[in-house]
Amino acid sequence: MAVLEEPIKEVVTIKNYIDGEWVESEGELIDVINPATQKVIARVPISTRDEINAAVKAAQRAFPMWRATPPLARARCLFRMKEIMEERFEELSRIQTMEHGKTIDESRGETRRGIENVEVATGIPSLMMGYNLEDIATGIDEYVIRQPVGVFGIIGPFNFPFMVPLWFAPYAVATGNCIIIKPSSEDPISQMKIAEIAEEAGIPPGVWNVVNGGRTVVGGMLDHPGIEGICFVGSTPVGRDVIYRRCGETGKRVIAQCGAKNFLLVMPDANLERTIAACMTSFYGNTGQRCLSGANLVPVGEGLNEQEYEAFYKKVVNAFIDAAAKIRVGYGLDETVQMGPLRDKGKKERVTGYIEKGIEEGANLVLDGRDVKLVGEWPHDAFLNPTAFEDVSPDMTIGKEEIFGPVASIMRARNLDEAIEMIHGNPFGNAASIFTSSGKWARDFQYRVQCGNIGINIGIVAPMAFFPFSGMKDSFFGTLHGQGREAIRFFTESKVVIQRWF
Amino acid sequence: MLLNTASAVISFVTKLEEETAKFYNELARKYPEGKEVFLSFSKENRKSKLMVERAYYGVITDALEACFSFKDGLDPKAYAIKTELAEDASYVDALKAVLEIEETIRKLYMDAAVLSEGLMADVPRVFNIVAKKRGDRIAKLKALIAEG
Repeated sequence: MAVLEEPIKEVVTIKNYIDGEWVESEGELIDVINPATQKVIARVPISTRDEINAAVKAAQRAFPMWRATPPLARARCLFRMKEIMEERFEELSRIQTMEHGKTIDESRGETRRGIENVEVATGIPSLMMGYNLEDIATGIDEYVIRQPVGVFGIIGPFNFPFMVPLWFAPYAVATGNCIIIKPSSEDPISQMKIAEIAEEAGIPPGVWNVVNGGRTVVGGMLDHPGIEGICFVGSTPVGRDVIYRRCGETGKRVIAQCGAKNFLLVMPDANLERTIAACMTSFYGNTGQRCLSGANLVPVGEGLNEQEYEAFYKKVVNAFIDAAAKIRVGYGLDETVQMGPLRDKGKKERVTGYIEKGIEEGANLVLDGRDVKLVGEWPHDAFLNPTAFEDVSPDMTIGKEEIFGPVASIMRARNLDEAIEMIHGNPFGNAASIFTSSGKWARDFQYRVQCGNIGINIGIVAPMAFFPFSGMKDSFFGTLHGQGREAIRFFTESKVVIQRWF
Repeated sequence: MLLNTASAVISFVTKLEEETAKFYNELARKYPEGKEVFLSFSKENRKSKLMVERAYYGVITDALEACFSFKDGLDPKAYAIKTELAEDASYVDALKAVLEIEETIRKLYMDAAVLSEGLMADVPRVFNIVAKKRGDRIAKLKALIAEG
């Protein structure tokens, strides 16, 4: 099948979007490279401290007018954004494939998920309502009003360049706040496109700003007293030791959604065919670069004797390896491709380092993705094929650290208790799944497992826009989460009024 | 090459709908006695294409197993259709050619629905709806051929 038409034909120079203007940065420009073709598709600026300060100033100026705009009028801007996103759905999706490397199916899924957050936020007139009670004492009424807070910073990750900032931005803006988005400098084009859409949808200058860059911009956001809160999605060391800590020091609200090491348990009564398909997308979808990706696969021998467990284990592992070995790897704009490249060469080197570490620590490499085989002729720089290890223990490096690549670690657990202990022994608590036909095992798993997102016969436990994207332990720092009602709470202050008339 | 991703299957299906709609328009011009039937098929093809696209674009999310939702995949060669007729083909020959196309497309929808039923609920549901409509067409075509 032919490769779909690329929507980016020439190298794009990314500008900042500040106060309703497209502004050239004074910072150095760095290349954005399509990981599949290795061609430069854009140049993104590393903006300066002055530029982030200018964006904060613009947002602060816009805030009083925007918070006084009726919620329905704010919602109408979001309705228009949704409409434009639907019209440009295919272009937006293909851009994600070009800048990130994911397959076109995955990019369309990401676009849909992003739009869903805009859709949910359009319900703001209802979602933002407070509550009241008459006669808390005779002749005295009390009520709660939800008011916007001010200016928020949103720091996006490279793995979902379109969707992740939309876990926060539509809710922040719908509730009457102003925002500054810092996209990942590795794939900033999607956020530039969204800012274009915000502008076209009539969101006033200063309400929606985008400042590209790296640490200077992040530092500028964290230090600036005019920023009330930060939403961050990225690694645990940065989320915990930089974002969460600094927000604590400066008194900012924070949502920091971080790293993961997700376990998928397969019970003896699981529907194997469907489980394996779900596992493929979980372990190898988005080339393993998701905080919800499966990392450790554990066939669990609950209720089986040793011989039965061995047979069950082999059945699961053989089916998994067979399916993984057949995955078609290549450029994501080829519609028959099931897995794209990693985001860049450096990320491939990092994952390869983990594969080498796994071998060194005694795990059994049963599927070696370093032997790259592609659909089509593409430079191998950022590509790896699916990889799997058997005989991995939870204390091995590949069993406990987040690899963020297409590598599955297969472990053994004789019963559910042992498997849950393995999950709890890991510092992360983002997601965990169980594949079973037993309601009892599923309920037990859901009840006991200390992870924020639990899957029952689900490979990627991605909460829909009207539910919070949860997380526990080293996977989340903060109190309220992104998306849905929790995002509304995060972006508003609850003001209580008690009134009596004489 | 097998079609094993949702995107590849949707593209293949919608392309067939477009191609056959165009063919049915040509037949409507060539055979006045079948104009109404052929034009209605062509119109319905475009509706089916839209239905399939809406189902796919409406439900596709990164949580669904879109890249792995057609198991081992569909072989496009098994659903090859002929959209050419001999110059001197009669109206009945045309109906027979359309019947062959419709049976192939119906089979494609049915096979695709079975392959994908576990993982993308809305898409196989639409495939089944379109397959059922194709079944109605096939019955109609058979009746017209019998009438001669």
